[in-house]
Amino acid sequence: MATTGTEEFTLDTAAELAAEEGGGAAIQGRSPWVLAARRLRRNYVALAFLALFLLIVVCCLLAPVYSSHISGVGPNDTNINGTIVVNGQKLDVVSNGGITTLGNGQVKVVPAGVPIGPQWFNAGGKYVLGADNLGRDLATRILYGGENSLQIGLASAAITTLLSIVFALLAGYYGGVVDWIITRFFDLIWAFPVILLGIALGTALSINGFHHFGLDVSGSSLWIPTAVISYVYIPYIGRPLRGQVLALREKEFIEAAVAQGASSARIMVSEILPNLASSILVLFTLIVANTILTEAALSFLGAGVQPPNPSWGTLISDGESDIVTAPWWSIAPGVAIVLTVLSLNVFGDGLRDALDPRAKVRIEH
Amino acid sequence: MGAAVVAAGLALVVTACGGGSSSSSASASGSSSGSGSSGSIASTQGKTFPTLKVAWGDTDYMDPGLSYRLESWQLFQDVYLTLVIKQHANGPAGAKIVPGLAQSMPTVNKAGTDYKFTLRKGLKYSNGTPIKASDFEKTIVRDFKLNSPGIGFYSNIVGVDPCEKSPTKCTSIPGIVSNDAAGTIEIKLKQPESDFLYVMSLFFSAPVPPTTPATPQGSPPPPGSGPYYIANYSPHKSFTIKRNPHWQKGAIATVPDGNPDTVQGTILDDLAQSAQMVASGQADYDENLLPSDRLAQYQKKYGSQIKYFTTPSTYYFFMNQRLAPFNNIKARQAVNYAIDRNQLVKLRGGLGKPTQNFLPPNYPQFKAINYYKYDLNKAKQLVQQSGTKGQAVTVYTISDVSTDKAIGEYLQGVLKSLGYKASIRELAGGNYFTIVGNQSTKAQIGFTDWYEDYPYPTDWFNVLLNGEKITQIHNNNYGNVDIKPLNKQMDQLAALPGSEASSTGTNSKWAALDQAFVVKNASVAPFLNGVLTSFFSSRMNMSCDVFDDNQDDFAQFCLK
Repeated sequence: MATTGTEEFTLDTAAELAAEEGGGAAIQGRSPWVLAARRLRRNYVALAFLALFLLIVVCCLLAPVYSSHISGVGPNDTNINGTIVVNGQKLDVVSNGGITTLGNGQVKVVPAGVPIGPQWFNAGGKYVLGADNLGRDLATRILYGGENSLQIGLASAAITTLLSIVFALLAGYYGGVVDWIITRFFDLIWAFPVILLGIALGTALSINGFHHFGLDVSGSSLWIPTAVISYVYIPYIGRPLRGQVLALREKEFIEAAVAQGASSARIMVSEILPNLASSILVLFTLIVANTILTEAALSFLGAGVQPPNPSWGTLISDGESDIVTAPWWSIAPGVAIVLTVLSLNVFGDGLRDALDPRAKVRIEH
Repeated sequence: MGAAVVAAGLALVVTACGGGSSSSSASASGSSSGSGSSGSIASTQGKTFPTLKVAWGDTDYMDPGLSYRLESWQLFQDVYLTLVIKQHANGPAGAKIVPGLAQSMPTVNKAGTDYKFTLRKGLKYSNGTPIKASDFEKTIVRDFKLNSPGIGFYSNIVGVDPCEKSPTKCTSIPGIVSNDAAGTIEIKLKQPESDFLYVMSLFFSAPVPPTTPATPQGSPPPPGSGPYYIANYSPHKSFTIKRNPHWQKGAIATVPDGNPDTVQGTILDDLAQSAQMVASGQADYDENLLPSDRLAQYQKKYGSQIKYFTTPSTYYFFMNQRLAPFNNIKARQAVNYAIDRNQLVKLRGGLGKPTQNFLPPNYPQFKAINYYKYDLNKAKQLVQQSGTKGQAVTVYTISDVSTDKAIGEYLQGVLKSLGYKASIRELAGGNYFTIVGNQSTKAQIGFTDWYEDYPYPTDWFNVLLNGEKITQIHNNNYGNVDIKPLNKQMDQLAALPGSEASSTGTNSKWAALDQAFVVKNASVAPFLNGVLTSFFSSRMNMSCDVFDDNQDDFAQFCLK
């Protein structure tokens, strides 16, 4: 995606930036963070997508408000036999049918079970995006589903990033046997396709939950998909960070710290970690998009969020069988996923351009 | 051997001539064929056409010794014949037992423990090998060697015990005595068995050539003994059925000679795609159920090409009586009161009829139960009284069939509203029954359904609710229902001689069992009897369609 290949993102150094702005004095004393923020502020596309992402997050966080003040139902409230009034007309939320026996085992059937379609705001906020076959309000479920998807995506990205940092610091700093063990561990995870590993772990853990090491997590808990996704992405962040630690470890300032008698822990936390900050921030932003997509895929395949809890993935899966007669059921959560992931990716690219300008070539693929 | 009685009397219920215990043997058995009553075959035959194209649901095997799915059995009815068969006729008549490979109904001794069949003469398999009496025993032995899912049906045959202990080492069954020269097959039973002739109509006992290896066959399937044979089978993809070149027209009056010369089948699990093949004229018949979400649409556009049939099936929730909270009868009653059966029918697209009975309504043993009126408040009170409120309950259901999934989620919602901490576990259909049928899964409650193997209550109560048949794995009694007095009653009814199997008194006893399980013990929560669809292309003549106990009989299909 070559979204940021414009001229301002080719600025590599403070000096170049200063030159472009017409004088070296203007940037004297500014930290790399300030410079990065300045670059980011000028990337309107990235900022627009950041705004979009924040808007989605806010909407999802307001799900309980929507549920109590607009739709009037919870995400899992069924209403198979219910009716609503639209423009003075009474409509079944889920269509009724009937059977008449004709003899010889044959019967006449009036089909039933077709859910009501989007009512927009003609029914006082009820069934804005229609219902599913259990009569549940789709708009409410999409908002709650988004909350679950974002929660899993962000939490798993945070956990995987944290674990990756620890592994990368240990492997890169100590090297030797520690490095060998940790990199083999990365290889082990990397050897499996993400989705395959996610399905295997997600299915196994969702059956009986996790009840070891003093933890008591039920199979339907959101922590199951969160933990699974966190685990499968460790090498995707751990490997590049380890490479950077290996390079940093050979720098003069580390040698100086060692000469001054600083402990290993102090060197890792105070000397190396700050130098990884920009990479971590970029990688975190980009991995969130991946974890959200993985959550959707696992939930779609039944190995993620367990029903009746909604997530965007489970909602698409639920609507799959009715895609012809009730396409909105799958399309609406699909659009939500596309917008979220797109906004995170575009913003993530913008952030990388701002924090790590030398990476400009890598993103132009 | 005592006075022989005609097993035709046993044609049970369905023939409405049960109880004829005293009639003389030979004459009635000689009334052979039972073809006279079928009638329908004559009216649909002689309308041959070159090729029938069908869209078919996925099959498990194309080997009669192994297959235990309707999709296969529907094809087998015109390919693999058994000594006695279910009549190829519409409605209840389609469950009547009539002679197949046997020239007449068997003679049975007075005790109901000795069945003698005589094979028709001159029959050949599709590969030209003559069909011999001894092939029958060899077929049952092959079933054991294959560890067939059907071997349990033969546990009452004398001398079968070593085969049951070591199925793969089975070499002969002393209780089956064959005489190739005379064409006779004598089957000795340990004790009378009321449903034995129905068991004999199952395809597990359909003779295959003695040279057929005791390994799963499929490419190609074993040679056929009926008017057709399966020439080609590609698992999960396609099959081709052709006429048996050694079949003599009219060889068996109860079996149609068949109208299509060739049947080309495309195997599809996707209901929408399957229906679309017929709608677009690429296939003439859709064996799969029409997708519930498009039912209205298809009915509007192709109404005259769709038929609906009630089936001998019951959809119900099992409740594990070895585990809390459903080891408490009040909790089980609460579920029965709390489920709205009309809503559940709706979730199946309207393709069902609400029921509270375990037995399907087309059985003469059926006596309608109308006990559980939907009453959520009463259900809540029962849960309160049971002291189980707040307990954790996991609902099991099938994930890849949207209607089953919705039914499971509905039940979860109901249990939550009753005050349980209900969660749901959705499993793929291919593994579902293996997992919930494994005791180590400890499935508390869940969705299940049953489509009869044969139309007699033993196939329901004794298979699904008899505590003596509970197993550690592959358990069909998912709720571990084990009520000693009812077990005894079931055993007694199952051990009745065929002549008493369908008497009014016996029927009443089965109906009382239905009542005892559903009302008195709330052992299960039945909610609907399924309705199936048959969808034909516009070139097919719908009046030729015969929906028998093995569903639509392709051999009788004809063109307009």
